Formats: sequence, structure tokens, C-alpha cells
Amino acid sequence: MITFEQVSKRYESGAMALREVSFHLEPGEMVFLTGHSGAGKSTLLRLILMLEKATRGQVIVDGRNLSKTQSRQAPRVRRRIGMIFQDHKLLNDKTVFDNVSLPLMIAGERYPDIRKKVRAALDKVGLSGKEKSWPMRLSGGEQQRVGIARAIVGMPPVLLADEPTGNLDPELSRELFGLFRQLNSQGVTVLVASHDLALIRSMRQRVLVLAQGKLADDISGSDIAGPAA
Amino acid sequence: MNRDSFRRRSRAWGRRQSYSFFSSLGTLLSHRLGTLMTVLVLGIAMALPIGLYVTVSNLRTLDLQREQWGTITVFLNSEAAEAQVQELAKLINLDHQASVEAISPGQGMEQFREASGFGQTLDLFEDNPLPWVLLVTPRLSDGEDLGEAVARLDAWLQERAEVDLVQIDFKWLQRLAGLLELGQALVSVLSVMFSLAVVVVVANTIRLDVASRAEEIEVLSLVGAGNGFIRQPFLYSGFWYGLLGAMLALVLFNLGLYYLQQPLERLLDSYGNQFEVVNIGGSGLVLIVFAGGFLGFLGAWVSVQRYLRQLRKSGMLGRL
Ligand SMILES: Nc1ncnc2c1ncn2[C@@H]1O[C@H](COP(=O)(O)OP(=O)(O)O)[C@@H](O)[C@H]1O
Ligand SMILES: [Mg+2]
Repeated sequence: MITFEQVSKRYESGAMALREVSFHLEPGEMVFLTGHSGAGKSTLLRLILMLEKATRGQVIVDGRNLSKTQSRQAPRVRRRIGMIFQDHKLLNDKTVFDNVSLPLMIAGERYPDIRKKVRAALDKVGLSGKEKSWPMRLSGGEQQRVGIARAIVGMPPVLLADEPTGNLDPELSRELFGLFRQLNSQGVTVLVASHDLALIRSMRQRVLVLAQGKLADDISGSDIAGPAA
Repeated sequence: MNRDSFRRRSRAWGRRQSYSFFSSLGTLLSHRLGTLMTVLVLGIAMALPIGLYVTVSNLRTLDLQREQWGTITVFLNSEAAEAQVQELAKLINLDHQASVEAISPGQGMEQFREASGFGQTLDLFEDNPLPWVLLVTPRLSDGEDLGEAVARLDAWLQERAEVDLVQIDFKWLQRLAGLLELGQALVSVLSVMFSLAVVVVVANTIRLDVASRAEEIEVLSLVGAGNGFIRQPFLYSGFWYGLLGAMLALVLFNLGLYYLQQPLERLLDSYGNQFEVVNIGGSGLVLIVFAGGFLGFLGAWVSVQRYLRQLRKSGMLGRL
């Protein structure tokens, strides 16, 4: 579903964010991406979302080689990916319903379908009945879940998350990861960047480790020791 | 592309348009004061050329070759007696192809009393100070120019001993004709200038709109909105600004007309014309309103293209 072949990314500032990274994610896989701050996790996700272009190498998502895809096709690529941001990226002057419905509006779906799907997505993240709330009135954990509802409402085959537990307490973080696992069990390919090593270990899933832009390790789920979640 | 997928795509496109449409309406309504200010500026800007246009086109409907316009007012000596006056009138009528209306000092006083409202004051005069007056209106023979006919009569009248003063309004009308040419040119120039002003005002408003909604644009772009979907609400906003501005302009113009209509008609009636101000007709109204909408749309387009490109260059929407 996602393939990196010898991908390097150098920012205009000269910073080498990724160095010859190669890996492959099968459809339906759930993978964690970890590494210290500045290791290149966000950059890797931004490449998949076509927010940046690889300096060298090939990024292939859902059978499409992004290195050879024109920038005006970027929206089409992004519509097939649900992305969850650490800072939520919600619109505070729109209700929860309006926030979550954005991807469906963009797809031009019928309004009755939009209502049904938004309700289902909010159900799934445990926010039933919050359609008319304003994001600012919600707790950090609830806001994050609004972001997740927006990411999954269009049922994209790929779900990306960049440090989704950044501001959450351990209890909420655990719940959130459980939600990811649940979505993954329904067939969505999930890639989560996080530096919460203890939590990642408890999930017993495949882990990619970045260090200074290099892929330092690729550990399969069965090789992870420690207590299960 | 097969027909089914085409139909599905065009339906999705239509729904996207309607979502953008309502979203733009929502934005305008949620920023009521700002919207009102913009619309007010646009309304005033558009009312001016509309007003001038209607004024000029009304005045142009006047037929400057109509005989009444050539009426000459002839003030006779105070010594001229009624018999003499009638003799002169007959002479003009028969020998000089002109109809003549004689106004006695008494009638003149009566008219002046009515028109001026000085009723009481005028009673203070013991003797009527007004002379006999002849209103001489040339009868044009085929192909004769009104200006020439008036000049011919004037030359003859100046020579008569009974005549004290010949007053010709027709010169004033000739100047008006010249002014109308100028007015028409001015309407064209002003229309272009104020159209440009509308485009610029809307462009600037939309620029601020884009800037204040940079975050929303970023989020839309992140969740897969294309150029069109991001641009559309701003274009609709521009359209609404222009449309509402034009409607307000028409309201302002009609208010102005309401105050000016009576004095204007009275002025023109005094030249013997049954004059009625012709307002903009139904199709003209529709044309103006949609021209306003189009100009607003244009301003929004220019602005949105430019500032979305800037946002994109800043890297906020990704660096591709
Ligand atoms: N927009 C940018 N411009 C220049 N350098 C950047 C930019 N974003 C990230 N970097 C640099 O790239 C490296 C990787 O950053 P990032 O991908 O954000 O790492 P992580 O998400 O793992 O903390 C860092 O050295 C960072 O300073
Ligand atoms: Mg990061």
C-alpha cells in the first residue's frame, strides 16, 4: 500500500530530513513510526500526503508513484488518505459536524449521505451527539477524536497519524491507540508516528525506527517483547 | 469516460457548487458589518455613473429641432399700444412664418404672481411696470434648421422700433447639446473608471478574506480540496458583493431621482415640453445588477488567484 524506495529528503535550508529510506507496507497493515525528535517522522508522513516532494527515490502510495505525479493531482491523492494531526487542524469557527463533513463536501457527496456518514464516524470515535458542539468547547482528547472522525469519514484506505497522543494523558492515549487498532481490524492501513515507546511496545505491531533521517530498524510485531496492552 | 461516470461526476460537481454557494452566503452573513461596509462603498461607486447615464440619456431624448425650443421672447417698448402690438403680431405671423402669442402687461403680472409667490408685494405697484411681450415661435419649412430660422427672426425683430429686447433661449439649448455630447463621453469614461473601482474594491475585500481564512484554506487543502473547491466560495462572495452593491446603487439612484424628478420636470415643462423622466427599464435593471455581480466576480477572481498563489509559495499548502 505504501512503498518507499531509497527516499531522501533535503529541505531548502539544507537539513537532510530523510536519507535513503526504504520500506513497504502491505494493505491492511498497522505500523508505528518512532524515533527521537527531528528524526524525520513528520517529513516521512508529509511525503506520503504530497505536502513535500522527495529529493531522491520513489514514494508509491496505493499504486501511484508520487515522484511522477503532478502537483495538481495532490488533492486526489490526499482524498485517499486520512490524516490525523498533533494540533488537530480543526476549524474553530465551524461546528463539529461541519469539520467532520469537509472531506465529503469536497467529494461532492449527497447531503443526506453526508449526514449519515458523519454521524457514523462520530459514533465510531465515541462522540455521538456532539455534532453541534464547537471544537473549542471540547477537551483535548475530544478534539483529537473529532480530527480522527474527519480522517475516517470518507473511508480512505490509508490512515496516517502524526504524534496523535502528543497532548493526551496515558489513559486517553491508550484508548486512542485501541481505536486505531479497531479501524485497522476493519481493513484500513494505519501508519502512526509517535515517540511514546512504552505505548508502542504494548501494541505489539510492526515498528519502523528512524534515527537522524535513516531507517535504523524495522521490527516485526512478533519480535516485540514486554507486556501486551 | 462512460456516460454513467460522467453523470456521477457532474452531479458531484453540482453539489460541490451548492456547498460553496451556501458557505459563501454563510460567510457574508456572519461578517454582517464588513459586508455592509463593502456593499455601501460599491453602491455609492456604482450609483454615480448610473445617475449620470440616466440624466444624459433623458436629456438626449429631447428633440432639439422641435419648434417650441426656438421660441423667442420679445419685450416691446413700454410706449407700444395694444393696436400696434397686434399689428406687429400679424406681420410676423404672415410674413415671417412664425406663430405669435401676445402677452399683455396684465397677463404677464398674473403669471408672475403665480410663479413667484410675491402676490402681496406686487400689489404695492400702482402702475403695472411690465411691457407687452410677444412669444414668437418659428414655423419651420421643410429642411429648415431651427437655428437659422431663429437667427432670421432675430435679425428682423432687432430692426423694429417697437422692440426693446429680444431674448433667445435657443443659444442656451445649443450649448446644452454640446454639453450632452460631453456628458455622454463622460458616462463612458466614468463607467469604465467606476467599474475598475468596483473590481479593485472587491479584490481588496477578498484579499483580506483570503488572508483571514488562511488557516481554513490550509485545512481544506490538507483534507484534499482542489483549487476549485477552495476558490469557489470566494468567487461567490465577490459575485454577491457586486450584485448587492449594484442593487444598493439602484436604490440610492432612485432615492436621488425621487428628489430631483419634480424640479427637473418643471424646468423642462417651462420650455413647452410635456417632459417625463424616463427611468431605467426592467431589462436595464437586470443588466446593471448582473453587471455588478460580474464585476465583483472578476475582482474576486483576480484576488483569489493571486493570493492563493502566494499562500502556496509560502509552503503552507505543501511544497511541491
Ligand atoms: N519545513 C522545514 N524546513 C526545513 N527543515 C525542516 C522542515 N521541517 C523539518 N525540518 C528538519 O528536518 C528534520 C526532520 O524533521 P521532522 O520530520 O519534523 O522530524 P520529527 O517529526 O521526527 O521530529 C529536522 O532536522 C528538522 O529541523
Ligand atoms: Mg514531527
